[in-house]
Amino acid sequence: MDLVLQLLFTGIGIGAVYALVALGFVLIFRATNVVNFAQGEFSMVAAYLMVVCVELGLPYWLSFVIALAGMALLGVIFNLGVYYPLRHRTYLPVIIATIGASILLSNSVLAIYGPQPQVLQGWFDTPGIQLGPVYLDSQYLLIIGVTILLVLFNFWFFEKTLLGKKLQATSQDKEMASLLGISVSTMIMITFIYSAVLGGLAGILVAPVLFVSIQMGSTIALKAFAATIIGGFGDVAGAIVGGLALGVIETFGAAYISVPYKDGFAFLVLIAFLVFRPQGIFGERVAEKA
Amino acid sequence: MKLTRREFSAGLAAGLAAPALMRGAWAQGATIKIGMCVPVTGPAAEQGLWAQNGAKLALAAVNKAGGVLGKQVELVIEDDQTTNPGIVLAFSKLAAQSDIVAFLGSIRSTQVQAMAPDVIKVGKPVMIGGTNPDLTHSGNPWLFRFRPNDNYSGRVIADYGVNTLGKKKWAIVHSTDAFGTAGGKALTEALTKLGAPPVLDQGYANQSQDFTPVVLAVKQSGADVLGTYFTFENDLGIFARQLRQLGVNIPWVGSPSVVAVSSTKLAGPALFGTYGVADFAEDSSDTAKAFGKAYRDAYKTAPDNQSAWPYDAITILSAAINKAGSTDPNKIRDAILATQKFAGAEGEYNFDKNGDGLHGYNVVKNDKGKIVYDKHIDFND
Repeated sequence: MDLVLQLLFTGIGIGAVYALVALGFVLIFRATNVVNFAQGEFSMVAAYLMVVCVELGLPYWLSFVIALAGMALLGVIFNLGVYYPLRHRTYLPVIIATIGASILLSNSVLAIYGPQPQVLQGWFDTPGIQLGPVYLDSQYLLIIGVTILLVLFNFWFFEKTLLGKKLQATSQDKEMASLLGISVSTMIMITFIYSAVLGGLAGILVAPVLFVSIQMGSTIALKAFAATIIGGFGDVAGAIVGGLALGVIETFGAAYISVPYKDGFAFLVLIAFLVFRPQGIFGERVAEKA
Repeated sequence: MKLTRREFSAGLAAGLAAPALMRGAWAQGATIKIGMCVPVTGPAAEQGLWAQNGAKLALAAVNKAGGVLGKQVELVIEDDQTTNPGIVLAFSKLAAQSDIVAFLGSIRSTQVQAMAPDVIKVGKPVMIGGTNPDLTHSGNPWLFRFRPNDNYSGRVIADYGVNTLGKKKWAIVHSTDAFGTAGGKALTEALTKLGAPPVLDQGYANQSQDFTPVVLAVKQSGADVLGTYFTFENDLGIFARQLRQLGVNIPWVGSPSVVAVSSTKLAGPALFGTYGVADFAEDSSDTAKAFGKAYRDAYKTAPDNQSAWPYDAITILSAAINKAGSTDPNKIRDAILATQKFAGAEGEYNFDKNGDGLHGYNVVKNDKGKIVYDKHIDFND
C-alpha cells in the first residue's frame, strides 16, 4: 500500500507537468488549428532565462517575473515571425514553421549556454516532507497546486470574462468572430502570449526536479502531445486529465511491468486511444470542428 | 592586353591556391604532422576544446625536448562536428594529406566505429579514447586505445565493492543504451566470478523524468550495495536525489558519470559518499599530478580525462616514432605495441597485442562534493 501511494504521488506529480505543457498545445490549437511543436522549447527557454537571472543575483521572485515577461515577449515574436506570415496558408506550412522554430530555439540556447545541464533551486528550502510512509517532494506539491489553480483560472477566464469569450469565439469561427467586431489577429496574439507564458511556467516549475537542459522541453512535450490526444485535442479539461492519466499510467506500468518500457506504456495508451476513441476523452468539440 | 573571364578565373584560382601549395611544400620536409579529429562544433564542442588543450600541451613538451626525428611536430586539427558522418568526413580530409603520419580519433566509441573502415583503408596508426571493448577486438590493427576499456570498469567496480567495501548483495542499475547494457553485463559477469551475483539487474531508458519505480525496486531488493552505469548526468542527478529522498543510503559504486564534474554539481549532497571509477584522477600518480599542474598553469582550469588521454596519446606516439626511427606506419605500430611500463597521466601504459594501453581504473570518492583519489586497481589480463 505504501508503495502504491508513493507511486501515485509521483505519477500525479509528473502527470501535472505533462498537463501544464499540454495546456499550451491545446490553447494554440484551438485558436489557430495548428499544433505548435515549439511548445516544449518554450519551457526550456524559460528555464534558461530563470537560470540566467538567478545567476545574476536577482531575487527568485524577480527572476520569475522577468522570465515570464521574457516568455510573453517570445510569444509576440513567435506569433509575428512564425504564425502571422503563414496565417492564410494551410496548416502544414505553419506546423513545419513551428518545427523549424523549435530547432532554432534549442540550437540558439545551445550556442549561448553550452551543452552542460544547469541547476535551478526550487521555490522552497525544504526539499520535501515525509507523510507517514510517503515522501512528498515539495516541488511536485507546488506543481500539483499550480496545476489545480490553473484549471480554475482557465475556467474562470474562458467562461466568465469578456476577453475569454472573445478568445473562444475566435477559436470556434474566425470569420464570424471578425464580423462581430472581434480583432482576430489580436486574439491570436494574446493566445500565443498566454501559451508561451504557460509553457514557460511549466519549464520553471519542473526545472528544479528535472534540471535545466536543452532536451528538457522536447522530452516533456512529446508526452504532453500524447496527453493532448488522449484528452481530446482542443479541450482544456482533456489536456489536464490526459496529462495526469499518462503520468499515473506510466509510473505504475514502470513499477509493476517493466521500467525500460516506461515510455512504451504512454504510447500504448496513445495508440489505443487513436484506434478506439480518436476524439479523445472529451472529444465532442473536435468532432464539431471536423 | 584584354583579359578574358576564363584567364581571370584561372589567375584568381592560382593566386588563391599558391600560398597553400607553397606552405604544403615547405611543410613537407620541415615538420612531422599528426592529424586530430575533434569536436570543434556540436554538442561536445566544449570537451573538444579540452582535448585540443591536452594534445597541445603534450605537443609543446615534445617540441621543447627536440621534437620527433629531429623535426618539430605539428598538429593538424579537423572538426568532427560531434557526429558520426562528421568524423568520417574529417578523417578523410586529413587522410588526403599524405604527409600526416598518424592521427588522433575520438573519445566516443560510436564515432570510432564509424571511422574504423576508413582507418583500415588508410593503414596508418590512429589513437583513440572510445571505451567500447570491441573497437580493438575486431581485427583492426591500426587502433590504439589510451583509456581503459569498459571490461575493466565493470571488473574494478565489482572488485572494489566486494573486496574493499566487503559488500556482496548487489543491485545494478543501468541505462538500456549500448553503453549501459554492455556495462551492466560486464559488472554482472565480474560479480558472478567473485561469487556475488547481483540480486537486482534493473535497466532504465535514457531521459526518464522519474526514477521512483527504479528506486523502489532497489529498496525492495534488499541489496546492501549499488552499482550503476548511467549515460547522462541529468538522469543520474534525478535518480540520486530520489534515491536519497526515499531513504536508500547503501554504498554506491558507479561508472565514471557518478564522479563527473557536472553530476557532482547537479545532484549536490545526494552524491556525497559515493564511489566511482575514473580513468583520470589527478592524485593517482606523479605523472598525473605533473600533467594536472601543467594544465592548470596553461589553461587556468582543472584537467579531466577529456584532456588527459590526448596528452598521453601525443606523448607516447611521439616517443614511439622516435624509437621506430621512421614514419613508416608498420614501424610506428610495432613501436607503440612495444610500449611497456610507460607512466602516463591516465595510468601506466602496457600495450597488449590488441592495442589496449591501459588495464585498470582509479577508484575515486565524492567527499562532500570534492572528488578524492582512493585507489588504483589494475589487471594483468
